[in-house]
Order: sequence, then structure tokens, then C-alpha cells
Amino acid sequence: MFDKLIDNSMAKSPWIFHINAGSCNGCDIELVSVLTPRYDAERLGFRLTGTPRQADIVVVSGPITLQTRDRLVRTLAQVPEPRVVVSLGSCPRSGNVFKGSYAIDGPLDKYTHVDVSVGGCTPKPEAIVAALAQAAEILREKRKEMHK
Amino acid sequence: MLPYLTKALTNLVKKPVTEKFPAGDPPKAAEGYRGRIQYDPEKCINCGMCMRVCAPQCMHRDIEKLENGDQKITFTFDLTSCTFCSMCADFCARHAITLSDDYMIVGTQPEDFLVTGTFVKKAPPPKPKFTPEQIAAMKAKAEAAKAAKAAAGGATPKPKLTPEEIAERKAKAEAAKAAKAAAAQQGEA
Repeated sequence: MFDKLIDNSMAKSPWIFHINAGSCNGCDIELVSVLTPRYDAERLGFRLTGTPRQADIVVVSGPITLQTRDRLVRTLAQVPEPRVVVSLGSCPRSGNVFKGSYAIDGPLDKYTHVDVSVGGCTPKPEAIVAALAQAAEILREKRKEMHK
Repeated sequence: MLPYLTKALTNLVKKPVTEKFPAGDPPKAAEGYRGRIQYDPEKCINCGMCMRVCAPQCMHRDIEKLENGDQKITFTFDLTSCTFCSMCADFCARHAITLSDDYMIVGTQPEDFLVTGTFVKKAPPPKPKFTPEQIAAMKAKAEAAKAAKAAAGGATPKPKLTPEEIAERKAKAEAAKAAKAAAAQQGEA
């Protein structure tokens, strides 16, 4: 009975969980700057959460290093469905300059579906905001599909 | 106290600093921003320098041989692999690669991140081809000449050029030189 109401309210506030899979910190800084007053993604309802269990959108940055691989898989498994995975920057999709390294076990598509990708090294905050808005749209559709 | 008060009052009437972005057009990037790669296949000469200097090896080259010997060359830049270091653009001798200020590199499919360009590289003009009969005729001619030479040489081994002949030729060449110099002087005048 309240499902629709809950869905509608949840669509207005997708929570983000950020996974750093061996990133150089460039993309992480840009993602944090998206939440600052200048770009203010919180006005669109996005909020950084501390636990994957409350997350709707997972943002992954960095090439997947061997050290973070198992943690990434475990964390992604804890995110409830429907979930949207956003890859931030060039690294998760290809490995970027670390491609072919013995310490890298990417790309991200090997472990999960990637719904939205942002290119750039690093992407500009505006591009991240646009990607998050697109991710929220995809999330809404996924949830609709799920509760059909 | 007063500076704080003036600051507070000006902030009261100022517009918010938050960008309105998802609502309106994205703001312009700073000058010199290195964004989406733009590739002009018309200028490219397929030297492959960009592929050499690219650290993440983000470009891919397909060379397809056409029937008339030309090459159809396709360059593909994968922006999900790019570091946007601009080395390819710096090293491109023909300025076929430029990095634009378009930073909206957002997509859901891998195809959204590809920049491609195709051009046809003309083959060098073909060497003249002879028919087997022509080749046989030329061979026969060469052999006949050889035989004639051998016959003539075998009978009377004469010197190649007599001293008079050499002197005559020298005089001829000098005259030609002088005529040329005179013509050049006339042209200058």
C-alpha cells in the first residue's frame, strides 16, 4: 500500500556510497567537492553515506588493485538491490596508465555491472553531477521494474 | 566589527554561490582545459607518433587493405582509457589531434566514449609492368647487343676514345657552360 509512496520518496534522495579501489585520490577529491556548497549535490537529494547497506548508488574510483579487489567485491555484495554503479574517471573502466600492471586486477566490469561512467582524469565536478543525476534516473527505473 | 557587518550585509543580498548546473547549461571550462579528444582524419598522415607517446595506450588503429592497394585507416581513441595528458596533440606533426574543452564525458555504453576517424591512404603509383613477350624481346635485344660487342671487341680491341675525341668533348662542354652562364647573366640583367 505504501510501496509507491516509499519508492517516490526514496527516488528523491539517492544515497551515495564511495569506494576507493586504489585511486590516486584525484577523483575522490572531486567527488567530495561535488558535495560542497559550490556544486551542492545535496540539493538534488544525494548524500554520502557511511555504510554500503544504506546506499543506492555506488561510486567506484580507481583501478581495481589486488589489495582492494576482495574488499570491493564484499562491499558491493552488501549494497541492497536495486543498486546503480557509477565508475568515476578513466581508471575503473580501463586501468588508465596502470593498465597491465601486476598489481591491477581490473576493469570494474569484471565484478559488477557498470551503469554510468564518467570519463576524465579527473572528471570535472559538473560532469560528476550530471552522471549522478543520470544514475538517479536509472535507479528510479530499476526500482519501478523491481516493484512491478 | 564593521568589516564583518558589511560582509554579512553584502552576503545577504548576493546571489547564491551554488552553480545551477543540472538545471541550465554547463559552465565553460577554464582556458587550456584538456577535455574530449577531437581527431581530424583529413589531416592525419598515419605516422603513429600519437600511439608511441600515449602512456595508457588509449588509441587503436585498424588498417584495412583496399582492392586498389590503398589503405583504409581507422583511428579509435578510447576516452575511458585516456589520461588527457595532451601528449598525442603535442607530438602530432599535422595537428590532427586536439583536446577540446568539452568535459561532459558521461555515458552508459562503451561506445559513448569512443572518438573515431577514418581516412584512405593512397598507395604509391605502381611500377610499369611489361608483358612476357616484351620482356623476352628486351632480353633478346640485350643479348644480341652483347654478342655484337663481343664479336667486335674480340676482332679489334680498340681504345674507347681517342685523345682528340676527348679534347673535342671537353671543348663542347665548356662552350655549353659558357652559353649557360651568359643566359643566366642575361636573365639577371
